[in-house]
Formats: sequence, structure tokens, C-alpha cells
Amino acid sequence: MRGPSWSPRNKAGMERDRRFWRIVLLTPPLLVFAVLIVWPLLSSFYYSFTNWNGFSSNYQFVGLSNFQKIWTDRLFFQATINTIIWMVSALLLPTLLGLVLALLLDSKVRGRKFFKTIFYLPICLSAIVVGQIWIWIYQPNWGLLNTLIEEITGDRFRYAWLAKPDSALFSVIIAWSWQQTGLSMVIYLAGLTAIPSEILESSASEGATTWKRIWYIIIPLLVSSTTVVIALSLINSLKGFDILYVMTGGGPFNSSDTLAMHMYNESFKKYLIGYGSSISVVLFLIALIIIGIYFRQLRKVDQIYG
Amino acid sequence: MFGYKKTDGSDIYPWPVVIFIILSILSILFLAPTVGILLSSIKTTKDIALGELWTIPSELYFGNYVEVLDNPAVGQYFINTLLVTVPATFASIVLGSLAGYVFAKLPFRGSEILFLILVSGMFFPPQVILIPLFRLFNSIGLIDTLWPIFLVHTALGIPICSLLMRNFFSTIPAEVREAAILDGANEWQILTRIALPLSLSALAVLATLQFTWIWNDFLWPLIFTQSDEKRTIMIGIVNLRGQYTVAWGVQGALSLVASLPTIIIFLFFQRYFIKGMTMGAVKG
Repeated sequence: MRGPSWSPRNKAGMERDRRFWRIVLLTPPLLVFAVLIVWPLLSSFYYSFTNWNGFSSNYQFVGLSNFQKIWTDRLFFQATINTIIWMVSALLLPTLLGLVLALLLDSKVRGRKFFKTIFYLPICLSAIVVGQIWIWIYQPNWGLLNTLIEEITGDRFRYAWLAKPDSALFSVIIAWSWQQTGLSMVIYLAGLTAIPSEILESSASEGATTWKRIWYIIIPLLVSSTTVVIALSLINSLKGFDILYVMTGGGPFNSSDTLAMHMYNESFKKYLIGYGSSISVVLFLIALIIIGIYFRQLRKVDQIYG
Repeated sequence: MFGYKKTDGSDIYPWPVVIFIILSILSILFLAPTVGILLSSIKTTKDIALGELWTIPSELYFGNYVEVLDNPAVGQYFINTLLVTVPATFASIVLGSLAGYVFAKLPFRGSEILFLILVSGMFFPPQVILIPLFRLFNSIGLIDTLWPIFLVHTALGIPICSLLMRNFFSTIPAEVREAAILDGANEWQILTRIALPLSLSALAVLATLQFTWIWNDFLWPLIFTQSDEKRTIMIGIVNLRGQYTVAWGVQGALSLVASLPTIIIFLFFQRYFIKGMTMGAVKG
């Protein structure tokens, strides 16, 4: 196996070898990434300045007019509002519930492994299946929700949760939160195991109550887990498309349209590829801001906690 | 039943019985939706229409499963999904290992920045690259084949695979590598004969994650395929819903059968799955 150029004393030869292997090993992944991710990303920017319809080979460069259209597009405005509602509630619900579950599970309660599996299981289901399940929960005639309400109140109750503009978006958010809670739960659980037990024990011996301990010691120490959870749920909810597509399709009357949904409709239903591209550019910029904040916060947290 | 183990956690958190009861109630609430699908799949359409979906059935009805398994389209959806999921899982892990090895063991000037750019690919909304990719694959005649789905999932998997493999390779002591070099091994031999065999658990993490994501994906097959023979299982479920509009039991059985591979993987490799989720989330 020992080749002639492999004398370890030969520093220059070693550096040449390293360079050779860097190129050989790094080229395939970077090439695939560049062709299938980076190039399309840049192309999207390009298309967003054109009026291409997806079919014809001649299209014009239209400057910023797609972005001007965004300003006057009532549906875009609606989709942006919905995206913000979607992101904020998809952030609060699973994060808070996941934190509570993690704190409860951290108490070394009997059967914690079993509980953990149950809370985490929805993560491995596809958005399509989750959507299916929740369509049935909201089904007006025999859905679980209406059945329960009828049982409790004793009155006939046939509200169509997903077909009413007032409740459609929020109903999907509940389904989404049900699936995502397990993720924030495990991240918080990982954060909890990193807290040194001496800190908790000394606070217990100083007579701090459980609530005080959770509020003043544990939750502040979970700050880096929180950063991760927040960034992940923002990014995940920005990507959220599948579950809306199957549960409401953005309806009724666009009341549950988000930017991702709006972009799909404009591009692949109306074939306004140029305009769809400019919506995706806006999506990208939002993601970029979130990622920037995320990396900065993470570095700050690292500096504080080492 | 309501006992608790006396561990160091018990003096930090009081009332183990209360916590156990709260967790039990929450887990029933959490499990209810999934159980609903299971119950629907063993009931007749008539029973469900009469409002009997959420009750425990007096007898088991397997007609829905017979219907699903007899449908030749379902078998085709399964084959298509496997043909995409297995190779794309494999390819993304291979490419991620190559990149991860260089970033961990052969760093160079600017490699940190390059790594950061690569990893941030994990966070971007897929809608941003959708149109140019559609155009690319359309121009080379690959639309309505399984190729674009495989290629895109391979590429989309590179960020997370590079991240996890780099983090794992970094934990391999430098002496191990140096000793191998003194023995005359080259980087390829170190990667394939030493680094990868030492990283089996990281590979298991990635295999579990990637398989689940690709199997469950809906957006890319929706964009890249048109004919029923090329559809994957998640699109298939949605399509078949039209065929079985009010046959809720069949829909339930279909959803369950389609989720079976990922549920089995999850239950067996739960440890790896959770590890991957938490590791992918925190900075390396």
C-alpha cells in the first residue's frame, strides 16, 4: 500500500495530496448542490423580472413590474397576513406545548419513554395523512369535534370547520401544531438533560419552590433550545404547503391562502411563472432574514454559555 | 399503577401521580386522531356515515384492506415511492459523507463559509427553486419520470447529511487518521475503511430521517409527475380519494398502509430519529 509519494516527511507532497483529495471528494456533492439548488435559486431571481408563462419561448424582461403587482395584489396581501398568522401561531402553540410536555417528562415519571413515543409519533406521519385525519375530526356530520360538542351540549351541532372562512385557517393550524409539538418537545428534552443537576439540587436545598425553579432557573437555561425551536418552527411553517393543500387548498375564498400556496396557484394554475417567481423571491428573502437572525442568536448564545 | 421510581428527579419535581395523570390525559388526546384512522379502516362506510367512526367496533371488518390491496394502482404507487426513496436516501448520504469528510478532516481557507452556505440550503422554502427545476427537467424530457424526484431529493439531502457527517467525523481523533496515513493509506481509504465504519450510528440517523422525509414528500412528485403510473404513494392517496369519495373506511386503510413503512422505521429506529432531529437542529 505504501506508495512512493507517501513519505510522511514530504510536506509539500502531503499538501498536494490533500488538495487532490479535497477536489475529488468535494466536487460531486458541490456539483449536485450547485446545479440543483444554487442555479435554480439564481434563475428564480431572473424569472421574477420577466413575464414568462411557462410555455412560450419568447418572453420579455419586465423589470420590477412583477414586484409592483405584488403591492396591488389583494390576494398577495391576504396571503401575507395569513402567513404571518400561520407563522406566529405555528410558533406559539407547538413551542409552549412542547415545553410543558418536556418539563413534565423530565420529572422521570413512570412510563416516560412510552409517553414520549406517543407525543412524537405524529412527526413520522406525512402531512397528507395528518390532513386526512384532521379532515375527519372537523367533518361536520360525524367528525370527532362536532360529535364531542353534541355530547357535551346535548344539542345538534353541524359546523363545517374547514368550509367557513372564519375557522378554516385556524383549524389547519391546530392540525399542524398537533404534528409539530413532538419536535419542540425533543429539542427541549435535549436542552433539559444538558442542565447540570447540581444547579437544580442547590436551588432545591435553598428552598426554591418548583414553580420558581422552573421560571427563574430552568427556562432561562433553555434559551438556546428556544432559539432553535423558534427558528425551526418559523422555517417549517414558511415551507408549510402540503397540509394546507390537502385540507383547504387555500380556501374557502382564499381565507387560508399562504405565500407558498399563493405562489403555487399563480405559477401552476394560472401559469404566471414570472409573477410566481417574484412571490418565491419574497419567500426567500423572508427565510434569509430568519436564518440570519437564527445564526446570530445562536452565536450570541454560544458566547454567553460557552 | 400510579407509582413512580425514586430517582434524583423525584425531589426536583413533586406530585409524580399528578404528572402521570396529566400526561395520560394528554397522550390520549394526542393519540385520538391516529386511533381514529385505525378505527375507520375496520368499519364499513355505512357505519361511519351513521356516526360510528369514533366508537370501538363490535366486529372487525377487513373489506377496506382487501379493497386497497386489490387495487393495482396502490402497488404501483408503492413501487414508485420505493424506487425514489431508497436510491435518493443512499445517494444523499454518500454525497453528504464526502462533503462532511472534507469539512471535518481536510479544512481549507474559506471552507467554513462554504460549509455555512451548504448547510443553509436546509432552511430555504422549496418553492424558490421549483420553477427553474421544472423548466430544466422539462427541457431534457424528464418530466413525468421518477428521475427528477430522485435527483432533487438527493440534492436537498446534501445539507443535512453534510452537517451530521461533518459533526460525527470531527469526533474521530486526529491520531487515528495520522496513524493510517503513516501506514500509507490515502484519504479515500481512511474515509471508507475507518471513518465510515466508525460512524454507523450517524449513518443510521440519516437513513431514518431521509427515508421518512422522502417517503412522505408531496410537493415534488406533485410538480414532476403527471400520469397515474408515475405517481408516488402520497399523491396516490389524494388521487384515490376522488375514486372513493364517500368510502371513508377505504381512505383510512389507504392512509394507514401508506404510513406503515415510516411508522415501522420510526418505532424501530426511534432513537436515531430523535437524535437526528435534535442534532440537525443545533449548530455543529
